[in-house]
Amino acid sequence: MSRNDLSMSGSLQPRSSNPAQLADVLERVLDKGIVIAGDIKIDLLDIELLTIRLRLLVASADKAKEMGIDWWEGDPFLSRNRNGDRDLEGRLRRLESAAGIEDDDQ
Amino acid sequence: MIAAPAKHAWYVYGVVDAASEFTGDGVSVVEEGPVAAVVAEVPLADFAGEALPERLNDRAWLETHARAHEDVLLRVAENATVVPFRFGVIYRELDDVATMLRARRDELTAALVRVRGRAELGVKGWADRERVEAALGDAPSGDSSGRAYLERRRTEQQRAERAATLIAEIAQDAHARLSRCADESVANRPQPRELTGRDETMILNGAYLVADGGAALAAEMRALEAEHGRHGISFEITGPWPPHNFVEAQEDA
Repeated sequence: MSRNDLSMSGSLQPRSSNPAQLADVLERVLDKGIVIAGDIKIDLLDIELLTIRLRLLVASADKAKEMGIDWWEGDPFLSRNRNGDRDLEGRLRRLESAAGIEDDDQ
Repeated sequence: MIAAPAKHAWYVYGVVDAASEFTGDGVSVVEEGPVAAVVAEVPLADFAGEALPERLNDRAWLETHARAHEDVLLRVAENATVVPFRFGVIYRELDDVATMLRARRDELTAALVRVRGRAELGVKGWADRERVEAALGDAPSGDSSGRAYLERRRTEQQRAERAATLIAEIAQDAHARLSRCADESVANRPQPRELTGRDETMILNGAYLVADGGAALAAEMRALEAEHGRHGISFEITGPWPPHNFVEAQEDA
């Protein structure tokens, strides 16, 4: 299913994300719901780290950018492939970074 | 293969009323008094010890399991009231699950009451900044003299500021109006573009607990879109979801 066309349509139809976007699912199941630690304690700690990571991104992408933190750009965990151009851009950036080529785009 | 003493553990998806009847592939229930946990047996090797950090960083594994968590809850919710747990609650023995249910009986019963007969829906608001700015008028002139350039830059900046103010006002007003169509509501932080992958800016990331299937909420959303659509603001309804946003309790001790 294509969602890119939605931004261009002036349609007033309610839009339902189906299937749900991964970021939404993670935001929900990692950060919401009743918080109960099972008896395999080590696991929760790891999930907390992941939650913090996601929360940091959601909370302060702009702030982090100001501080020069941009780890999510090209991060396969968080970048999504819906938009072909953006994906290509991300892949290019990763390749450039892997090749040690500086991004000359101010 | 090295044989381990315990190969499986019990993953808890959420809690339902005892004696609830529902469909769920591969899940079973642990009843304890008025409540019951929806559980599934999972390989301990996936979750215990050093395996989990690796698994959690494996995007495909995480996606599969996070989606499975939601899918099980949605399936159960078709026929039963369910209080969703967060991802990754695991017990070694079914007895331990029963102990947890006993210890948290009051809290879980209260959460069941809170979400009974209700559904969680999400509404996202999106702004196409260029269109919002264009709707504010004062299109900068194409004159290329130095003075005209500076003038244009200033106008552009003012327009961007006015657009930001307008967007914030619309988002606040939208959440207030949508909240009136719901029993409870939460405005979560809008996701940044890096996460949404969309060109528009997310301006509203609201969750609404509704009792009427969301008819009033959907109508209000359409009204909002009718008012603001031509300015580059759009809305999107998602769900129903397991009511993760409306069951939060105190942290585990």
